[in-house]
Amino acid sequence: MDHSSRWEIERAQQDISNLCSRDGRRSLYREVNAGNCKRTTGTHHHTLKFGVFGRAVLALLAAVLVAIPSLAQDWIRTGTGLGVEKVRLALPDFKASTQDPKNTDVLKVFNDTLWNDLDNAGIFDMVSKSFYPLGLVGSPADVKFESWNGPPPNTAMLAFGNLGVSGDNLTVQGWLYDVKNVTSPQVLGKQYQDAATSDAARTTAHKFADEIIFRLGGGIPGIAESKTYFVSSRSGHKEIWGMDYDGANQHAITHVGSISLSPRIAPDGSRLAFSSATKTGWEILMYSLDLNRLVAFPRYGGTNLSPAWSADGTKLAFSSSRTGDSEIYVADSSGGNLKRVTAFKGPDVSPTWNRKTGAQIAWVSGRTGLPQIYTMEADGTNVQRLTDEGYAVSPAWSPNGQFLVFSWIRHYGPGAPGAQDIYIMDIASKQWVQLTHDGGRNDFPSWSPDGRHIIFQSSRSGGEQIWTMLADGTNQKQLTFTGSNTQPNWSWK
Amino acid sequence: MAANAEIFFEHDRWGHNLAWSLALHVVVTGGILLYSTIASGGRGEGWGAGGGGDAIGVTLVSTVPLPAPQVQTQNVLANESKGLSQSQPQPKPEEKEPEAIPIPEKDAKSKPKKEPSASKRKPQPEPVEEANNVVPFGQGGPVSGPYGMFSAGGAKGGFGFTGGGGDFGTRYAWYVQVVQRKVSENWLKYEVDARIREAQRVYITFDVTRDGRPANVLVEQSSGVPSLDQSAIRAIQRIDTFGPLPSDYSGNKVSVEFWFDYKR
Repeated sequence: MDHSSRWEIERAQQDISNLCSRDGRRSLYREVNAGNCKRTTGTHHHTLKFGVFGRAVLALLAAVLVAIPSLAQDWIRTGTGLGVEKVRLALPDFKASTQDPKNTDVLKVFNDTLWNDLDNAGIFDMVSKSFYPLGLVGSPADVKFESWNGPPPNTAMLAFGNLGVSGDNLTVQGWLYDVKNVTSPQVLGKQYQDAATSDAARTTAHKFADEIIFRLGGGIPGIAESKTYFVSSRSGHKEIWGMDYDGANQHAITHVGSISLSPRIAPDGSRLAFSSATKTGWEILMYSLDLNRLVAFPRYGGTNLSPAWSADGTKLAFSSSRTGDSEIYVADSSGGNLKRVTAFKGPDVSPTWNRKTGAQIAWVSGRTGLPQIYTMEADGTNVQRLTDEGYAVSPAWSPNGQFLVFSWIRHYGPGAPGAQDIYIMDIASKQWVQLTHDGGRNDFPSWSPDGRHIIFQSSRSGGEQIWTMLADGTNQKQLTFTGSNTQPNWSWK
Repeated sequence: MAANAEIFFEHDRWGHNLAWSLALHVVVTGGILLYSTIASGGRGEGWGAGGGGDAIGVTLVSTVPLPAPQVQTQNVLANESKGLSQSQPQPKPEEKEPEAIPIPEKDAKSKPKKEPSASKRKPQPEPVEEANNVVPFGQGGPVSGPYGMFSAGGAKGGFGFTGGGGDFGTRYAWYVQVVQRKVSENWLKYEVDARIREAQRVYITFDVTRDGRPANVLVEQSSGVPSLDQSAIRAIQRIDTFGPLPSDYSGNKVSVEFWFDYKR
């Protein structure tokens, strides 16, 4: 058995991967670890230098001039070098608006969830609650601007509101205020009604958090309502499980009873493609989340692994060894119209589509021995190699099409340290940055829909578990704790 | 009694001295007034109004690395830079007029044509007027709203808005910040020629449509470095959306002038 087929099988058994990608454009170039990150762009240094100006100036600007009053044109003048800072956001606990005894529990769930959602968003600098002025803020009349926009809270934004249970109904009113703008502070005002349960409170908190993130995050929808899917062996078999983005609500989805790997949720969230060991070998199976059962999908023969949805949901790419050598194939989402797009000796696995254009595919090829990451047009032309050394697997393309995140053992082989870590690469420049450093094997990264987060599996805590982090490698958090959980995949919205 | 008599005497002397003193005060006061009227001619009272003027320049300059001050003053006084660029356009129209005049019989036709051209140019010349208005900019009345001036991290900056209904920046300062943050994030400096260590500021203008998409991306003032100009344009083009404009904003677009400072 040659080298390349050995790793291929290793991976197949272990769990193949790749994932889809989503967008991550945040401060990628943060200089992480001098030893591991030889190249960083000047971007960040520069930003730091000019950070002094403060985001404040951001807006420098002004307007202007438009001397022709009839145009009534609105102008914004602003520039770079003004420092990019996270928005300071204060979130006092919501106030109870009714006397119902159920308020206490529901309020706690709501407040905790909302705080976590905003804290996890990656675009806010949450003001510590110990800085808040005394007294709850339940409605706009309660807002004392001076006590919020000056020290100690010195916040730019204030989210507040009230929540009340009456009978079986839950009513939530929430506001987002720009407290530095006393004359027209309101950015957002929302009212929600739902059932008076903890789950509903959690959902409502997610919705409100997403509204805030959508406004202040530049029109990118928040991820608080997104889901993730992964492989868990908790039930004795490796089955596909699902959970909320924050690790809540973990539940089994499939009950195939064999070994199921590499779940990939469809862009519209209706179907889940995964590979599973069947009587005839490894095949792609399709599970409908609408029908809650497996639906028909062709069996191609050979070993079929790691399906990948195109962004429009009309195509699936996957690797198949139906002709002997493992190659990348593209089929319609129904499984028809199968086309082979690679034809090289050596294994080709783990495809992932360019989520922005849908016109390129990145995948892992073992044509030169150890697996490396390549890109090509969706028709198989214009093959480019991205990684130049080590053992690189599990590519996932970012939602904005700019980055690939993947797992890499940069120095592979006897005598090499061989840590397996998550790396992110800017495809155009081929500059990369190491995101994880904490030991263990880190693999199977997948992008969040907003491109600001990455979910991955790591063995740093002992067994294989699911972790998330921001796309710059910060804020790493463990989401699963029981059993063995691997191969996470984040929903598309 | 003697004391009384002395006082009388003194009284006369005082009158004398008082007269001198008064005259002197008048002269000094007059001098000050005269000086102030003469000296204040170029400044415009508006500049001193509120903290706006102070905030704009001083701290920024102090925090800037050596070369920056010039640029910065331009920033701060966005109007000022306009003034400069406007002053250049002005001479051009003048030159054309002489050319037109020489033409003999076509005068009648040429004149009408010139007038339209003048009107076309107006957008630029008008800024000149605005340059005068620059002073009002300092008025700060509307400008000195909460976001007329920022301070954060020890740095300060200001912005102002004029024009009919052009209060977008004051009402929706949070949106302005979103734009600023997003463009900065999407500017990839490695796209700039690696040999360039420092360059003039490049000014880009673009519109943000109602649904938040950037449109009409133009280089307003080139940096003289093509790759820098290009990277700035790409930074804007790379952005799909800034998020829809605030729902209670009545306009259907906002124009943005964004500058990029490059320094390696």
